[in-house]
Amino acid sequence: SSSSSTQNRNAILVSHRQKGNPLLKHIRNVRWVFADIVCDYLLGQGSCALYLSLRYHLLHPDYLYYRIRELQKNFKLRVVLCHADVEDVVKPLLEVTKTALLHDCTLLCGWSLEECGRYLETIKVYENKSADIIQGQMDTDYLSRLNHALTTVRHVNKTDVVTLGTTFGSLSHIMDASMEDLARCPGIGERKVKRLHDTFHEPFKRAV
Amino acid sequence: MVQFHEQIIAELIEEPPNGSGLVILSSGLSLPKLISSLLLLHSPSQGTLLLLYPSSPALKSQILHHHNHHNRISEISSELPAHQRLSLYSSGSVFFITARILIVDLLNSKIPTSAIAGLVILTAHSLSETSTEAFIVRIFRSLNRDAYVRAFSDKPHSMVSGFSKAERIMKCLCIRKLHLWPRFHVYVSQELEKEAPEVVDIRVPMAKHMVAIQKAILEVMDGCLKEMRKTNKVDVEDLTVENGLFKSFDEIVRRQLDPIWHTLGKKTKQLVFDLKTLRKLLDYLVRYDAVTYLKYLDTLRVSESYRSVWMFAESSYKIFELAKKRVYRFVASDGSKLTSPSKSSTSKKRKLKGTADDNENKKVGGSSSVNPNVSIVLDEVLEEAPKWKVLREVLEEIEEERQKQALSSEELVRDKEDDSGIVLVACKDERSCIQLEQCITNGPRKVMQQEWENYLLNKVQLRDLQTRFKKKPKEPKGFGILDGVVPVSPAKNVEPSSINKQEHDALVAAASEIKKRLKNENVGVDPQPEASGQGGGRGKQRVKNKKETPNNCKNSGNNDNKSSVKATLDGSSSENNDNEVDPAAAGGFSEATCHVASTDKVVLRRHVQVPEATASGSANKPIPPAYFYALESGQPILDILKPSVIIVYHPDMTFVREIEVHKAENPSKKVKVYFLFYEDSTEVQKFEASIRRENGAFESLIRQKSLMMIPVDQEANYLGLNSSVEAQGTSSQNSITRKAGGRKEVEKEMQVIVDMREFMSSLPNVLHQKGMRIIPVTLEVGDYILSPSICVERKSIQDLFMSFTSGRLYHQVEMMVRYYKIPVLLIEFSQDKSFSFQSATDIGDDVTPTNVISKLSLLVLHFPRLRIIWSRSLHATAEIFAALKANQDEPDEAKAMRVGVPSEEGIIDDDVRAENFNTSAVEFLRRLPGVNDSNYRAIMDGCKSLSELALLPVERLAELMGGQKAARTLREFLDAKYPTLL
Repeated sequence: SSSSSTQNRNAILVSHRQKGNPLLKHIRNVRWVFADIVCDYLLGQGSCALYLSLRYHLLHPDYLYYRIRELQKNFKLRVVLCHADVEDVVKPLLEVTKTALLHDCTLLCGWSLEECGRYLETIKVYENKSADIIQGQMDTDYLSRLNHALTTVRHVNKTDVVTLGTTFGSLSHIMDASMEDLARCPGIGERKVKRLHDTFHEPFKRAV
Repeated sequence: MVQFHEQIIAELIEEPPNGSGLVILSSGLSLPKLISSLLLLHSPSQGTLLLLYPSSPALKSQILHHHNHHNRISEISSELPAHQRLSLYSSGSVFFITARILIVDLLNSKIPTSAIAGLVILTAHSLSETSTEAFIVRIFRSLNRDAYVRAFSDKPHSMVSGFSKAERIMKCLCIRKLHLWPRFHVYVSQELEKEAPEVVDIRVPMAKHMVAIQKAILEVMDGCLKEMRKTNKVDVEDLTVENGLFKSFDEIVRRQLDPIWHTLGKKTKQLVFDLKTLRKLLDYLVRYDAVTYLKYLDTLRVSESYRSVWMFAESSYKIFELAKKRVYRFVASDGSKLTSPSKSSTSKKRKLKGTADDNENKKVGGSSSVNPNVSIVLDEVLEEAPKWKVLREVLEEIEEERQKQALSSEELVRDKEDDSGIVLVACKDERSCIQLEQCITNGPRKVMQQEWENYLLNKVQLRDLQTRFKKKPKEPKGFGILDGVVPVSPAKNVEPSSINKQEHDALVAAASEIKKRLKNENVGVDPQPEASGQGGGRGKQRVKNKKETPNNCKNSGNNDNKSSVKATLDGSSSENNDNEVDPAAAGGFSEATCHVASTDKVVLRRHVQVPEATASGSANKPIPPAYFYALESGQPILDILKPSVIIVYHPDMTFVREIEVHKAENPSKKVKVYFLFYEDSTEVQKFEASIRRENGAFESLIRQKSLMMIPVDQEANYLGLNSSVEAQGTSSQNSITRKAGGRKEVEKEMQVIVDMREFMSSLPNVLHQKGMRIIPVTLEVGDYILSPSICVERKSIQDLFMSFTSGRLYHQVEMMVRYYKIPVLLIEFSQDKSFSFQSATDIGDDVTPTNVISKLSLLVLHFPRLRIIWSRSLHATAEIFAALKANQDEPDEAKAMRVGVPSEEGIIDDDVRAENFNTSAVEFLRRLPGVNDSNYRAIMDGCKSLSELALLPVERLAELMGGQKAARTLREFLDAKYPTLL
């Protein structure tokens, strides 16, 4: 049974409620198994999804609310996967949006079963992926990395980075620089000096 | 000032109650002049006059040009501090102002509205109910009922697109009166035709191949249109080839297809795109020379061959074939030089066709297989544009007439007062200007030669990049040609004499060029190799010139007469125009040879001209100096130069009207206009159709005007508009009655804090229409603050994709999550576009990191607290906002502004983490190489601050970071020597 549980960890768990949902046909890149779960799809340790077709919502406007309430506070990420399968989406989508938003659910919209299935697959596949691909292409050369780090300090610009770099020679020297040394750098005013110094010398965690 | 301008202004101003109105006039009837005369009537005692910044800078600069002699119009922009703006608003002068700053100041009540005399909107056709201008007028009207709002447009055809557009625009501007001034208006036509300029209409027959190409393109277009009709997705009526000639055709098609764009197959989409390409091809056929045209076709073939539909049509083949024939062809070198379209040579052509595009393999095969039997030679055709010759003839004729006049009478001297003697050649774009200028100075042959050389060189470069290895097999052959064989040395002798201008440079450069030249010879000139027969002589010599091109390029700068022209041009234009024309504009019209624009130096100019013309050897008859003007540059050229002869090289309706107006303004002045049309070309068709289209637009506007229902009470109108929207809003809420009841109550107080930068979009306007109070401030975090806990970042679809790629969205969401309880990402779709991310076919079979689904999923995984709103349209967004605000407190302006902005001590208010963490240090730490989401907490636990971290040895780091590799990466980065600038 331990092997089946590890297997299940790599699969999407699907509630028995979803039996017969044509969406299941479109989950192809990840394994899925039926299981006894509260949500419709269990996508990882802390993430789950409820599936809602807008057409169904029009017939049962309260359905979503009750399903969300069932989830209680057990999940970090609670996705409402909304299949926009009606012509006039504005009104039903407004209601779904409001319900999801006010009850701590993240709303994702798909316009086809393929698209909905892809969301489920992707969330499962990317469960432990870093956010690199949406953090923008960062150049990996020394200067841009240095820029990237130093410009987190407010008002420090690229020119200042050059000034700091040439004055102190290396990042560790910059980080260890005294207030006076920083103040001697051209173009770095009183405020920037203070900000830089605070950043480097104040403890990460403030004593409460 | 022309009389009908006076009439327009008189009618507009006298209109009760306050002279508001929408004026639509034909394009070319000089809107800038009309505006500037209107501005003259303004006196500071009336109050301040605000002109909304037009979207086209040309319009603004022309208004400034005409206004110039009096006081200048200053600008109010966001760069001015608030108090300065306030004093300007009450100063009583005229200002240009950007819509964004005006709406922000209005909403913040920073404008003394009673001190404003009126608003002038210059591009009425670009307005809609949701545009910022409409927003401005609505607020402005509610504060000041007496001021006027005057809107203008000289694009009648865009006033009739969509359902009763004019009426809707008038309603949203609270304007009751529509003034129509078409060219066929009786006052206008009377005045313009009274002293009409002398017009010579020259129909130039197109070259044989051009006609054939045109025919082929039209055939392909027709084919595409038929194909499109088959899809049953579009209204067939508008889809005619004639409409296809206009840019607006795309708009027609897109407007029909946009809502269902995601349901279209790839083929239909490609058809739409192809039609656009084909239209360009038609246009370029009459605008570009043969070589450039071929070049363009080549790039087309490379860039879209595998996708497009038309490329494979029967007629398309013809287009390529004919375009090539205009430039070069191959002949067998065994004597049958000109009469060689026998079977053998055509088959060769086929094979070599492969060469011309990028099939290098074919080329090698083709030429070598042909070689042993009969060697073939490239024969340059280099067809010149028929208009070139005609242009020269016209210029010669003008000069002849002038000289006759000068001989026959002394009267000329007196006439000079009116007759500036300036010849203006107007063509569509900068490129044609430069080319025509060279054509006149250097002769057409040379221009073509140069284009051809560039063309070949380009190909060489392309090949060099593509297939380096293929050079090798060719090299020995190339040496063979250059070394022993006869035709080489004569060619070398000819070379310097033919390009006599660069003699001395050529000799110097030749030595250094030889290597390059060889390479070029071997690789580049695809069809030219192995020419050993007598027929090769001609081809050889030409190709030699090609190698000169690098020199040519370099030397064109040194070329005395040219550089001097440039220099004097700048000087002269600034002298004449009181610095009105900026340097870029000065470059806009290039002179052939002359020095100054002022009349007294005409003689001098001619002296320069004559030897120049003969020296170039390209023409024997003298021609007058001419100015070249690109219509695209949008300068008030006629008023600057006051030309007496205008040659309209590319006919354009607007420019024709401008000439008419100019003539009517200066009735005593003699103006002669030559039109150069290609006979039976789409150029003529397009010109005529543009007039028809404008007339049609006016007729439809006149009809609309007679049926228009404009409420008398403007204020009621705008309130009514509001309440109707409200009613709609509540009715849609009726299903959940308890919420609707709650909402009604809050509505009175509802306010939304909006970031200043958001006023580029229409959402603030729509929110205001919905009855919400809009508070514009500069926000550091988020775009809209709905309540103390709800913060919204708005992204249109396009923005969304872009900010995913740039990483901006990640950062923005990160900030929102940090400061607000309910951070919201609003994904806003456009009303008239399809409501979906991508069509089903774009989804693909696998999870790919580039797909937007993947990116969005990742965002959701990393920020589980992020909420997402999917909104169909602006109005849907407004409704969702209202629904979300229903049970929330109103946001606090002062607080929202402080969010994310560190105070003096660097501590950020309301930052949930700031109390416990040194946030900028944490942020800094997380951006260091080797540090990641899983180990940064451990680092923070293990060392106190960044300065301590800087001193930790690598072993300790490894302990903290849980790995040698990461630790080493970090240590190396920290200790890396900063690269010095030396």
